Amino acid sequence: MSALFEADRLQMRFGNRIVLEDITLRFGPGELCGIMGPNGAGKTTCFNVLTGRYRPSRGQVRLDGEDITGLRPHEIARKGVSRSFQIMNLFNDFTARDNIVTALPGLRRRGFDVSHAVAANSAFADQAEVLLERVGLAGKGGVLARSLSYGDRRALEIGVALAAAPRILFLDEPTSGLGSDGTARLAALIGSLKGQLTIVIIEHDMRFLFSLADRISVIHWGQVLAQGTPQMLRDNEWVRNSNLGKLQ
Amino acid sequence: MIDLLPHLLNGLTLGLLFALIALGFMLIVGLMEQINLAHGSLFALGAYFSFMLVAAHLPLPAEWVKAWTTIPLGWRYVTALVFAPLLTALVGMLLEFCVRRTYGKDPLYGLLLTFGAAMVIEELIRLVWGTRDYVLPVPQAISGGIILWDLIWSTYRFYAAAFAVSAIALVWLFIERTPYGAIIKAGAHDSEIVRALGINLTRLRMFVFAFGALLAAVAGIILAPIWGIRPHMGVDAVVPAFLIIVLGGVGSFWGAVSAGILIGMLVGLTGAYASEWSLLSMYVLLIVVVTFRARGLFGKKSLLEA
Amino acid sequence: MDKDSRDSSRLVTPAMLGFIVLLCTLPLWIGKVGLYPYLGIEILIWALYALSFNLLLGYSGLPSFGHGAYFGIGAYAFGLFQHNIVPSLWLCLMAALGAGLVAGAMVAAFISHRRGIYYAFMTIAFGQVFWVVAIKAHSITGGEDGLLRIARLPADFGFANIDLADNTALFYFVLAIFALALIGLWRLVNSPYGRILQAIRQNETRAAFIGHNVWLYKFTVFSLSAGLSALAGGLFAMAQTSAFPDVMSLHYSGYVVMMTLIGGGLVSFWGPVIGAALFLLARDIIGAVTTGWMLWFGLLFMAVVLFKPEGVAGWWQGLRQRTAGMSGNATGFARLRALLGGRA
Repeated sequence: MSALFEADRLQMRFGNRIVLEDITLRFGPGELCGIMGPNGAGKTTCFNVLTGRYRPSRGQVRLDGEDITGLRPHEIARKGVSRSFQIMNLFNDFTARDNIVTALPGLRRRGFDVSHAVAANSAFADQAEVLLERVGLAGKGGVLARSLSYGDRRALEIGVALAAAPRILFLDEPTSGLGSDGTARLAALIGSLKGQLTIVIIEHDMRFLFSLADRISVIHWGQVLAQGTPQMLRDNEWVRNSNLGKLQ
Repeated sequence: MIDLLPHLLNGLTLGLLFALIALGFMLIVGLMEQINLAHGSLFALGAYFSFMLVAAHLPLPAEWVKAWTTIPLGWRYVTALVFAPLLTALVGMLLEFCVRRTYGKDPLYGLLLTFGAAMVIEELIRLVWGTRDYVLPVPQAISGGIILWDLIWSTYRFYAAAFAVSAIALVWLFIERTPYGAIIKAGAHDSEIVRALGINLTRLRMFVFAFGALLAAVAGIILAPIWGIRPHMGVDAVVPAFLIIVLGGVGSFWGAVSAGILIGMLVGLTGAYASEWSLLSMYVLLIVVVTFRARGLFGKKSLLEA
Repeated sequence: MDKDSRDSSRLVTPAMLGFIVLLCTLPLWIGKVGLYPYLGIEILIWALYALSFNLLLGYSGLPSFGHGAYFGIGAYAFGLFQHNIVPSLWLCLMAALGAGLVAGAMVAAFISHRRGIYYAFMTIAFGQVFWVVAIKAHSITGGEDGLLRIARLPADFGFANIDLADNTALFYFVLAIFALALIGLWRLVNSPYGRILQAIRQNETRAAFIGHNVWLYKFTVFSLSAGLSALAGGLFAMAQTSAFPDVMSLHYSGYVVMMTLIGGGLVSFWGPVIGAALFLLARDIIGAVTTGWMLWFGLLFMAVVLFKPEGVAGWWQGLRQRTAGMSGNATGFARLRALLGGRA
């Protein structure tokens, strides 16, 4: 099976500090992959390199066989790579609906069409409504993002990322700060997306990850230490010995 | 070549004084993460207060003023050098009292607020002292010139440079040798650490604001005989000060000093060759440096950078 | 569709129409309330300038603190073009607009990858460069003596040639341009372009990662804002029949910031217009009583920053909401906070 998204021997240095040593990752179409590892292992840096925030010091990133290394974030996003952030990143003064509309490729393509009235475009509103329903925010479209509950904001994060019509979605600790109810709700949401597009999740909540993911990669010291299905990782000695593997 | 020496001295003096202004500015950025755009107004206030004392333009009964004028100029100057900065420091404390409300918010807030304060102070200066230029009289001992290598050197420039160096040394001692300095260096936005050290942050902030104002006022007094005293001298000082901070890098003591000297020299040298354009040179330098190096010459990463 | 989104799809809103009609009657009554028609011209010009400035501060969250430079460039371009090339009103105004666009684009090319305080610093530095050049290039700009004898050229429509030397005629001409700009800007801020600018203000990173070319938006909006400011500057040169470097100084650049903020540019399209009117009225009314009017206006500005960053428009919105029982409009506090790189 050819991979949709490939990262080949990525290295990332900041000054003389090496954050990513040698990372090789492959994500197939429709796969749901997890990335785990201790704090400071380089997971978020890895996402930042994959989505174009940083240019890697060495190595290559390919989407569908096309080299996208060093492209700027918006260029990579336009090719169908979307992401969420560990720290909440929403347009707080916009309503939930407007958050979604702003991310629609249709709006983006008309970005310099100054004669067009956003509010009069019912296609935008309809698409936004569909997406809001999909992430469980039906009926909350008119609420300001800053006024939504924490759980709803996490869901809206995913909604905004989805609105950009991605082929691959990177989620950076989507359950961070959520209680068990919120985590369950998010697990259901991500589960419902499974198979429709490639999803890559950084997560600390191991139960969450092991129940959802097809494949998990363990990153530590800037390297991929182990890779495989959740079952394979449960059996992996290193994972078992580290406190990462404590599932119960 | 030797003809250039006086220009270099002028540039050095100016640069050291710019650095002094910038350091006061930077202390406030360091501790409060606030850009104090009224810093230039405090600089101007220092100059006006000193003029009031030295030239005996005092709002006091005529006999008192007359008695004051009988005191020799030298003593009046020394008194001004002590009391004008202290008076300015009081104004600085009052300003801090307003700015206090913006701590922890976007720095743009403090920027806008202190911009308003700058307008208010400048307008007050116009109302109290009018729009005319004043000249600050200085004692005989530091005025006049000396002839060396067939060139006339202004004594005052030597005095000003020496004074600025000692003031800068004082700031250095404050930053390096006192616990307050350690906090400022650490970038004490983390007020928890500060409290854990048993330091009253509210008082520390007020003190540092006052200290910054004091430095600005001192620079104002020293620069007054060179620039003349006029209402918009504050803007002439605050713009180089923030250029120096950006150029030297936010939070770097030696960055500010070297950037100050660099800008002073540049203004001095372009003044020698193309005096019309000497002001422009520092902006061009800034634009060139910042285009190629976002953090300035010596800067660490800070909240001001994006 | 609620009222707000209906308005935002319209070419001309009822409020806009009412405002323009009211302005049309201004020459009839302004003398009776103790003011004078020239003040109307000034308010319209500064309102246009503040509106284009607010495209940056209020909509895009870009603190441009040296914006007077572009206003001044427009004024000089208008004068120099009519003195040296061709004394045609339309071409002179185009020259002012064009000069502002070019100067703005040059500066924007240097600064559009920045934001926050560094953006403010860089815009001040560039503003000062233009200001110093205007003062020192004596042979071109007249230095501090200013560029004098700028004519109020007649408006040649082909079928009619209208003389604008009279203040009332000039007022209507400026009003026409102002109304066109008002409508254009209204459409702009409610278009996808305006929507994306507001997204960039709130969260630049997020905007980039959903595929918007943030640099290009920041570049174009700065150029556009500089161009429109220069157009206002050109009208200003025509109104006062001269151009001086002082409008390019840090002080004047600050005035437009004050107007925009006090009026409520952070939360309202109309904020800059309200602010410009308030500023010039205060200048004339407080200025008639005391010479230190800027002292009082400065204190007012400080109070607004401290207690009500939403300005007059925000206060009005709050009042309307309280009476209508609506909730949830963005607060100026939040917007100000968002100005520094979206750390809301």
